[in-house]
Amino acid sequence: MKFLIWLPSFAVTCAIAAPVDFVREVRPIFEKQCYSCHGEKKQKSGLRLDIKSLAFKGGDNHAPDIIASKAKDSPLIHFIITDDEDELMPPKGKLSATEIATLTDWVNEGAAWPDGVDLAKLEDRRDHWSFKPLTRNGGFQPPRAHGKRPSLDGFIEAKLKENGLSKSPETDPISWLRRVTFDLTGLPPTPEEVAAFLSDKSHAAVVERLLASPRYGERWAQHWLDVVRYADTHGFEVNTERPNAWPYRDYVINAFNNDTPYDRFIKEQLVGDAMGQDAATGFLVTASVLLPGQIGKDDQSKRLARQDSIDEIVVNISQTFLGLSIGCARCHDHKFDPITAKDYYAMQAFVAGVEYGDRDLRTPEAEAAREEATRLKPRLAEIDKELARFVPLVKSSAKRPMINARENADRFVPIKAKRVRFTIKATNNLEPCIDELEIFTTSGENVALATAGTQRKSGGDIGVAERHELRFINDGRYGNGRSWMASKIGKGWVELEFTKEQTIERVVWGRDREGKFTDRLAIDYQIEIGDSAGRWHTIADASDRQKFDPKNKKLVKPTLSGLSSDEAKRAKPLMQEKADIEAKIRAAENEQKVFAGTFRAPDEIHLLNRGDPEQPKESVMPAVLSALGNLNVPKESAEQQRRHVLADWIANPQNPLTARVMVNRIWQGHFGTGLVSTPSDFGHQGTKPTHPELLDWLAAEFIRSGWSVKHMHRLIVLSATYRQRSDGVMESWGHGKPTIQQSKTPDPREIDADIRYLWRFPSHRLEAESIRDSMLAVSGQLNLKMHGRGYNLFDQRGGLSGFDPIETFTPDNQRRMIYAHKVRREPETVFGAFDCPDAGQSTAIRRASTTPIQALNLFNSLFTLAQAEAFASRVKKEAGDDIAKQITRAYQLAVSRAPTAGESRETLPIIRKHGIATLCRALFNSNEFLFIP
Amino acid sequence: MSTHQEHLSIAGRHLLDRRRFLSSSATALGSIALTNLLGLDGLLAANGPIIDPGRPYTPRQPHYPAKAKNVVVIFCAGAVSQLETWDYKPELIKWDNKPLPGGPAVTFQGPAGNLARPQYAFRPRGQTGKWVSDMIPHLAELTDDFAFVHSLTSKSNTHGPAENFLSTGSVLDGFPSLGAWTTYALGSENQDLPSYVAIPDPRGVPQNGANNWGPGFLPAAFQGTTMSSKSPVRHLSAPGVSPQADQAARSLLQKMNARHLEANPSDQKLAARIASYELAARMQLSVPEINDLSTEPAHILKLYGADDTQNADKAAFAKNCILARRLIERGVRFVQLFNGVYASGGKLNWDGHSDLKGQYDVHASILDQPAAALIRDLKQRGLLQDTLVVWCTEFGRMPFFQKGAKGRDHNPDGFTCWMTGAGVKPGVSTGECDELGQKAVKDIHPLYDFNATILHLLGLDHERLTFEHNGFQRRLTNVEGHVIKEMLA
Repeated sequence: MKFLIWLPSFAVTCAIAAPVDFVREVRPIFEKQCYSCHGEKKQKSGLRLDIKSLAFKGGDNHAPDIIASKAKDSPLIHFIITDDEDELMPPKGKLSATEIATLTDWVNEGAAWPDGVDLAKLEDRRDHWSFKPLTRNGGFQPPRAHGKRPSLDGFIEAKLKENGLSKSPETDPISWLRRVTFDLTGLPPTPEEVAAFLSDKSHAAVVERLLASPRYGERWAQHWLDVVRYADTHGFEVNTERPNAWPYRDYVINAFNNDTPYDRFIKEQLVGDAMGQDAATGFLVTASVLLPGQIGKDDQSKRLARQDSIDEIVVNISQTFLGLSIGCARCHDHKFDPITAKDYYAMQAFVAGVEYGDRDLRTPEAEAAREEATRLKPRLAEIDKELARFVPLVKSSAKRPMINARENADRFVPIKAKRVRFTIKATNNLEPCIDELEIFTTSGENVALATAGTQRKSGGDIGVAERHELRFINDGRYGNGRSWMASKIGKGWVELEFTKEQTIERVVWGRDREGKFTDRLAIDYQIEIGDSAGRWHTIADASDRQKFDPKNKKLVKPTLSGLSSDEAKRAKPLMQEKADIEAKIRAAENEQKVFAGTFRAPDEIHLLNRGDPEQPKESVMPAVLSALGNLNVPKESAEQQRRHVLADWIANPQNPLTARVMVNRIWQGHFGTGLVSTPSDFGHQGTKPTHPELLDWLAAEFIRSGWSVKHMHRLIVLSATYRQRSDGVMESWGHGKPTIQQSKTPDPREIDADIRYLWRFPSHRLEAESIRDSMLAVSGQLNLKMHGRGYNLFDQRGGLSGFDPIETFTPDNQRRMIYAHKVRREPETVFGAFDCPDAGQSTAIRRASTTPIQALNLFNSLFTLAQAEAFASRVKKEAGDDIAKQITRAYQLAVSRAPTAGESRETLPIIRKHGIATLCRALFNSNEFLFIP
Repeated sequence: MSTHQEHLSIAGRHLLDRRRFLSSSATALGSIALTNLLGLDGLLAANGPIIDPGRPYTPRQPHYPAKAKNVVVIFCAGAVSQLETWDYKPELIKWDNKPLPGGPAVTFQGPAGNLARPQYAFRPRGQTGKWVSDMIPHLAELTDDFAFVHSLTSKSNTHGPAENFLSTGSVLDGFPSLGAWTTYALGSENQDLPSYVAIPDPRGVPQNGANNWGPGFLPAAFQGTTMSSKSPVRHLSAPGVSPQADQAARSLLQKMNARHLEANPSDQKLAARIASYELAARMQLSVPEINDLSTEPAHILKLYGADDTQNADKAAFAKNCILARRLIERGVRFVQLFNGVYASGGKLNWDGHSDLKGQYDVHASILDQPAAALIRDLKQRGLLQDTLVVWCTEFGRMPFFQKGAKGRDHNPDGFTCWMTGAGVKPGVSTGECDELGQKAVKDIHPLYDFNATILHLLGLDHERLTFEHNGFQRRLTNVEGHVIKEMLA
């Protein structure tokens, strides 16, 4: 508006020279010098100079760019005349003096840029196929394939025809059975399953059997965990164990096995805490995260760490469910997709109350256990008090327990005392601190209490008012907040004097009975009593206790030795009860956590300039992406309510992306490549679907089926498309040798090298987990135990360094690989090389590398050798001593067929000489075993 | 012209598909011709390399003629203080034990103490007369050969994210390492050895471990293989299997795979897997050979300090340095040599928070002579003409001690790294920190620039070396990075 007002006045003042003309004089300079970086293709620093509105608006850091009539204030002019070499534009070469003068005059004359002269048109970024609504049935009826009933094959065949291709003939039954079994369960079919299928030929029965198998969920959960970058460690430098992550992994396995409707699956992962599915929200916090100790003490570091951790949640939600990469809008509006920085921060606001952490898992059993634990805790305290009377006597033959920070008791033969002195001779660090010193008489009365008139003195105190004072040593209250601290490092003493002589038998003391502090602990001490004559006698010290070593896990257990038979009789049931209660409490506390986020009042979210937490701008309300809707939530909304709104919006049949993205992932899971080959990018940078009508039809079918993932599997694996051969022999070529006619047919490999149109089934190598699982299945060692804490692949479950592989094999670590404890970024020794994701970033597609390291691992590793041996024993057991039979059985188990006569002939002499294990090892390495046919 | 190549049309994609088909089905000679063709018309350059998954290590042309063919990165984990090494700040001597003007800072580990002078003496070196510390006397002798940048900045003041940032260009986990990008771009000249080798410090692995040589979202083929003078590549042979039985299994496998290939002739992946076993067999011979340092003469062991009987850590690191040279000699593209390991209170790496001088005396004696010898040895063998040597660390340290300690806290706002060798201008220093060495003030270079410069020397344009991942054309340098021209010959 400004320049419209100024324009007339300049028209007057510059009347003598003709004003600079934008189209004739200015734009040619822009075209020549600027558009290569600030035009239609690229907008470096967010600046675009070929569209009037954007040119005036300016770039990321220098807006507005053109200030009419003020050349010296306009960044446009600044950057072409500056002396700073790094800033000067264009970066290579300077504008000529005439060009500079033209632009400067033009700005000073009011920067007249007539409307309607721009050659470029600002595209509507919302006008993109994946943002358009799904119409009913996808808007398409599937073309009928070969006059049969409508199916997805019609779409495929239409597209093949359009491209001068035709489909391949149906594959042989064994190949289909291997294909579908690997695809749905990640394991090969057993010889018995092969035989059954060959006799009844019922494809549908096979598919139902596989979908009903728990192995199905184990296989398909892995695809999902790849996308959400699930791991059992926290990542970054310390990479410590995340011990309670696995319930989320089990939740995903169960969700696939139960065919949980996908819309519900989404909601549970975002707001499962409101749906009785606590483990599901593990989804929110799957990323690497810095632990508190790794974040700098300065406030900037804290703000940045918090931003990073929310960013991970938002990125995960949008790429997983919506197939959109919105992370770049953290710093600036998305360059290609209609996602603004404000959209991005509005998404953050939905999850601004989520923290990375463990939460109680509220299953009915867990709830009951927790209630019982709460009920039992007071009883435990009572027992402890009682048992303190039965600790072994000092200087008895029994080794007394190690000193602990919470509470220690010294019991001795009853003795008359007027005074008691407690002397600290060493601490684990710093000045000693004692929260309460109690002295019990034979009748069980604590005579140390100040309320009993007992006086106190010490060898020096550090006083912190209302926290550490000498009077707190015998005030009857526990905890660091009411404790005594001595003045010297590593030593000190405190003395109590009773009003009269007492017969005492026990001194009880601790650093912090509330259990929060373990520092400043007296680890060497002595207790003396002063008799009425004023003489001192040592009655207890640390010399007969187990040596203090906090790392020692083999603690001396409370024992009955050192007790009189009467005492033992009274103590025994108490000890038993204590052990039972402790086990119950421990179990209740251990089993019921899940790393699924904790929820609190949301942070206020601001739009951040260039993503910098130190440059907050206006505050932002939770709102869905503006290009896809205008749903927002009042800022006052409760934390859970926010996630509810987001979940409902994503899991809505009207959302154009949700169903399309998921059916594409399912398709990819079967064919190796999706109809959209960029499964987590349905934006402008992603590829377009090869079969848009098919994708929409599948999406509509998905919703119509009640979001049933298993329904989609049935559609796909029973289709003629899926049942094609994979070896590239085309239908038009016939089954025999090529005939002359074919020379006219173009080679399909030339038209469609990547098999995107599916003129054959695209065979592909098994994934890392499937290779390991299949070897175990074939060797007979696969342990099908499901669920629970992961087994170890390495000698440690997390940490800084030194993950040495475990290479002895037990039933526990011969479970399916999805149950392995996944150390983020640490490739499994043998199978990591087979493109196993490291859970650093999301893996929406697994690449399939072929490398000599893979060959070394699979041919030489102890795992392979052990499984080859086990496979050999199995074969001998099942086939007997006849070597020919052994060979046949080995082939049947590994590749679902008997060897040909030629193969048997070749193999026999070798096996005679070296044993069947040699064949087993070779089979595990063979392409036939490792490829989905 | 370059602009319209950035975003390929569908037709362009089809064209590439067709080329990919040709390249994978053609003979070896045909592929070479095709690679040249693609190189010439710029398509290869514009879109990142075209990788045949079956032959990921085929040598590929860079974007433009490269100054360096190979790289050795000496990675000092834990953040080496610039103030004790390469960035001489005499002003700090005057300010020794005085509070920081403007009040004490709060830094990574909490409140700061007083300013502290450089803990080692400095003196001018060589022709350039650049002042370098006595902490590293052997490396200091080579000062004239180095190009320094004193004004690097990092995006994080925490070791984990910062070492990620140095190695992968992202503070997050799971991004491809510099070596992975390089191998992805250029393939390998030597098919008998891994194309990218990471040599961990003899005392352990650095912070973030494998993420420093990980493939991130690139194919696993491009990840670094770990190897050191102590432990060779895993699974080189089958323990407990006789050579005869081993050979029998191998020959059975060959026959099985040959038959299977005959039945599935159009699948290149099958042929590639067969080839991978042949490569593996060659690696089984080459790797033990390269790890066998017994062929190195005594004067070489002495040059590196590998014969040091007093300092076992130094001798072991020296052997790693010799291994690095042997790998480069054999055409291994990228060698990452680590000095310093995981968080250990500065005991095992350069994280000198509490007792900087005491700990640096130990670490410098391990690093200095072997690293200097590596550079000298590469030079005397003529290898430095084609090899870039990079010395780097994830960030620097503060000019003041931490409160109550004799060490310096993390400083991501101004620190020093250097390069030498192929394509590097010797004897230059670019960028400056303020006179206390706390913040870069002149010609500030985020670490992106340093990585962009390394790629540049390898003939790679950091803006054009991309890989599509979840909606991003990912680069080593994100959307940043400027080549530091002052460091180029």
